[in-house]
Amino acid sequence: MRNFSLGIFLALMAPTLAWAAPSPRLVLPEFTALAQQATESVTITLDAALLAMAGRFLNGDDAQDAATKEILKGLQGIYVRSYTFDKDSAYQQSDIDAVRNQLSAPGWNRLVRTRSRKSQANVDIYIMVANNQAIGLALIASEPRQFTIVNIVGAIDLDKLHKLEGQFGVPKFDVDVPKVPMPSIKK
Amino acid sequence: MSEDLESRLHAALTPVAPRSEFTQNLIARVNADKRTEANTRGRRRSPKATAWWLIAGMAASLLTAVGVQHHLQLRRQTESGLEARREVIEALHITSEKLNLAYEVIKSQSSSPADDRSGV
Repeated sequence: MRNFSLGIFLALMAPTLAWAAPSPRLVLPEFTALAQQATESVTITLDAALLAMAGRFLNGDDAQDAATKEILKGLQGIYVRSYTFDKDSAYQQSDIDAVRNQLSAPGWNRLVRTRSRKSQANVDIYIMVANNQAIGLALIASEPRQFTIVNIVGAIDLDKLHKLEGQFGVPKFDVDVPKVPMPSIKK
Repeated sequence: MSEDLESRLHAALTPVAPRSEFTQNLIARVNADKRTEANTRGRRRSPKATAWWLIAGMAASLLTAVGVQHHLQLRRQTESGLEARREVIEALHITSEKLNLAYEVIKSQSSSPADDRSGV
């Protein structure tokens, strides 16, 4: 009887517990005003269904497509907002703060933080880990004339993401990506 | 004068016996007309056959409509799939580019630590 009551209690609490669990999906603003000012804007919203559909149109015989297909396995969403401007300081840091604040929620860990005085390029990379597996990645890159936010939801294989570089004409990221859980996560 | 006209008219209107093959030709023509009429009547469709053709036509139209709809749906799916593929590649390209940007900063940190700061 006691177990039965506990079961009912847990069943009733399940939606609340699920709601309280941190989500690797960020709420990305529309940035409508910025999009109008930008010379180039990229808005990509790919949920699990669209990723599955895209996977069916990737050719396994092609090296780039095959690498992409491997990365897509286990992903539930990819969300990108990127804006390029024709002048410096066309956007405010407060525009990004709404997203950055979400990354201070429990579950998110900062993996990399770079600040370049020379190029004025700042990159923050965050991951969310659950059961020793990365289930979310967030990347905020701000440069004088561009800012980019990337949110990848799902079981991310950091090794595969690491191998991705070079596939798109970008040199390989030589820094060792630490295995999850990272021993030196900075928050 | 009038007698002359009368005699000429009389001569012109004198009954002439038909040629011997006239009757045969007439009977043959009548028979031929009967056959033609019978054939035409035979070719006319019965209501049952008309209904069948109507149903067959409707089925063919339905099949064509379903086929066209399926083709259009397939084309829409292909277009959506190719668009999703393009977006996936672009998203991963952007991600890769920004990871590389972080890498460049980390790399330059080793050469001139005063300029850049990073934490890995």
